[in-house]
Amino acid sequence: MTDNTSRERDDAVTDGGRATDDAVTDGGRATDDAVTDGGRATDDAVTDGGRATNDAATDGGVASSGAAQTHNNTDYLGAEVNILNPSTPYMRDHLRIVWSGFAVWVLAVWGPVTLTNFAPGVMTQTMPILQFPLHYFLVAFGAPTSALILAFWYSRKRDALDEKYGIEHGTADVATDGGSDE
Amino acid sequence: MTASSILLQSDLLPEALNISFKLGPALLVIGMLGLFLTIGFVFRVADTDDMWVAGRSIGNVENGMAIGANWMSAASYLGMAASIALAGFYGLVFVVGWTTGYFILLIFLAAQLRRFGKYTAPDFVGDRFNSDTARAIAAVTTFLIGFVYAIGQAKGMALVGLYIFGNYGGLIPGLDGYQVMVVAMMVVTVGYLTLSGMLGATKNQAVQYVILILAFVVGLFVVGYTNGYSTVLPQLEYGALISQLGSEFSEPFSGSSYYLWVATTFSLIVGTCGLPHVLVRFYTVESERTARWSTVWGLFFICILYWSAPAFAAFGTDLYSQNVGATYGDPGMTGAASEVIVVLAAQLSGLPSWFVGIVAAGGIAAAIATVAGLFIAGSSAISHDIYTNIINEDATQRQQILVGRLSIVALGALTTLAALNPASSIAALVGYAFSLAGSVLFPMFFLGMWWENANRQGALAGMTTGLTLWSIPMINQIVPTYIGSVEAPLSAGLATWMPAIGSALITLPIVFVVTIAVSMATDEPSLETKRIVRQCHSPEPMGQQETAEDVVADGGEDVATDGGRAMDDAGADGGRAVDDAAAEGDRTDDATTEEER
Repeated sequence: MTDNTSRERDDAVTDGGRATDDAVTDGGRATDDAVTDGGRATDDAVTDGGRATNDAATDGGVASSGAAQTHNNTDYLGAEVNILNPSTPYMRDHLRIVWSGFAVWVLAVWGPVTLTNFAPGVMTQTMPILQFPLHYFLVAFGAPTSALILAFWYSRKRDALDEKYGIEHGTADVATDGGSDE
Repeated sequence: MTASSILLQSDLLPEALNISFKLGPALLVIGMLGLFLTIGFVFRVADTDDMWVAGRSIGNVENGMAIGANWMSAASYLGMAASIALAGFYGLVFVVGWTTGYFILLIFLAAQLRRFGKYTAPDFVGDRFNSDTARAIAAVTTFLIGFVYAIGQAKGMALVGLYIFGNYGGLIPGLDGYQVMVVAMMVVTVGYLTLSGMLGATKNQAVQYVILILAFVVGLFVVGYTNGYSTVLPQLEYGALISQLGSEFSEPFSGSSYYLWVATTFSLIVGTCGLPHVLVRFYTVESERTARWSTVWGLFFICILYWSAPAFAAFGTDLYSQNVGATYGDPGMTGAASEVIVVLAAQLSGLPSWFVGIVAAGGIAAAIATVAGLFIAGSSAISHDIYTNIINEDATQRQQILVGRLSIVALGALTTLAALNPASSIAALVGYAFSLAGSVLFPMFFLGMWWENANRQGALAGMTTGLTLWSIPMINQIVPTYIGSVEAPLSAGLATWMPAIGSALITLPIVFVVTIAVSMATDEPSLETKRIVRQCHSPEPMGQQETAEDVVADGGEDVATDGGRAMDDAGADGGRAVDDAAAEGDRTDDATTEEER
């Protein structure tokens, strides 16, 4: 079963005390669960075998961080996606990184050219040591290199963000693989 | 528009290039094609399932190389140095536009595309906006992009082919040496494609990248070293040479305006993020984290060539001035010669012909790999997205393959005709395809991913607007060059403010506004569509096999169907198996598509 991993994670935290959690997270779901639990019980029985160990492992790490707690309480499929109006804490944090990177990127790509247009004298001076005309170097070498450094920076930031929210990309595969064998 | 207008001469025989049949280089090219086919054949055993698994397990570095091989065509290999040599500072727009765009792709689309998890660009548009018409427009766009993009590749292959195989002008009545070579190279490419298209050539990408980058970088090192230009880092050692090359090489905005510079880079950047063959690379990596990190690696591998191209242009320009004649002024270096400046630089350095042949062969490898990929993407757009999805839903496998083959031949014929007397430089020709991708596809991907309320009506209106607006400067500047009696451009004013190569600067904001306005004026998309978009942004990890649609379908139906889930799953699984089987045909295509570029 390739069922949604998100629920498994939810379950991981809420197993046992699910009633309380539901009450906290979403009023609506409690009812849903009531309606649907009948069917799920069997289902859980099928999958639970392999899951127990996993849960133990995940639970330890997850509980410790506040962001991870928020993450577990967020219903991502119920939160609107609008780049100008991020609706989850995660997306707010993510977009902060995205826009900071974007701003630096705009400067790196069009900054030197614009300066060259308005102050050609300064920008076309020869650089010490490398002997390049400044504008030429900033464009031919500076722009691609900036994009590369920014890409590296962003990916690092994004990994850190996942860590902050207690998201591990490896675990999903383990859980899913187990299920998909069925 | 110096870059493109200089190159309007009909006579495309590069002066100073040693045009003759050379056995060594010819064997090299043939051997290279044979190697690609062999690798494809050996790894064909992987077949659908294994190939899929291999696809899923593609890691950062390997996918990065694939991105690099996908990306670098004759436009990067030949066209970029050509533009830098001839158009000077303006030529650098290609260095900037074709690298920095990857950062935008990374922060806005890469991981989200992995989560969306479909196979082709028209797939995304069709599924996200729930519209076969939208899918068809995206498919037509993909076909057009393949066509326009390939014209530049054909031109590059033919010019380099002259060095390796010689001048056979008149062999086909009425065609000069360049034109005969266009026909020959395109026949070889389509032939190669029919052979390789059936093979899952997973490893080819890495091999193609290695050949390409070695040929280019080693060529640069040797040219720099033997002429005393540079020692170990030619990419940073051509600075002092620039002042000797004439002001045309480096003076800012001497032949073109600041506006054109900005418009072109903008267009190339958003085009990068909207090109179907680039986007599909992110669908099949093992995880969204890999989607991100492989972009970083891919950009690094691309940068290796892009740091080198300006150096190659500088060395080539200097060698040309010393050995042939003044590069700038009258008569100056012709467009044809500039296009092969990379090869010419090696030849003018007095290097042996086998070594020059390697540099030339790298250009052919880049072009053939790219054309193969573009044609497969174009033909699958026609056979899968238009024919099977819209025209004949009950199409048999045979019919689909037939339609696919016919579209490849049609693309080959169209490209050959258009390349016989190409309207512009290689880089500019490819640039028009970027304008198209940036005008039509990028806005759909960006808004579709980042604004859940973008809907079908908005997408249809936006894409139609984009296509129409893109064609205006094309008709203004490019079409007349194919009609003898009309002068291009039809309107100089329009060409200044909405240049064909930079038209996305104008079209993109308009397409955004149209799409948003129409979406707001009409009904919001269904909750299911919204949930798919949300799933693309959720940080929850997903399984390797999952698409956002799967997750939403499973998770979303919890509410209503949990009770009967067992049945549901059975039903879904059955359906999925069939789906997979059906998709397998395409998937072979797709796999090749991704790998061949």
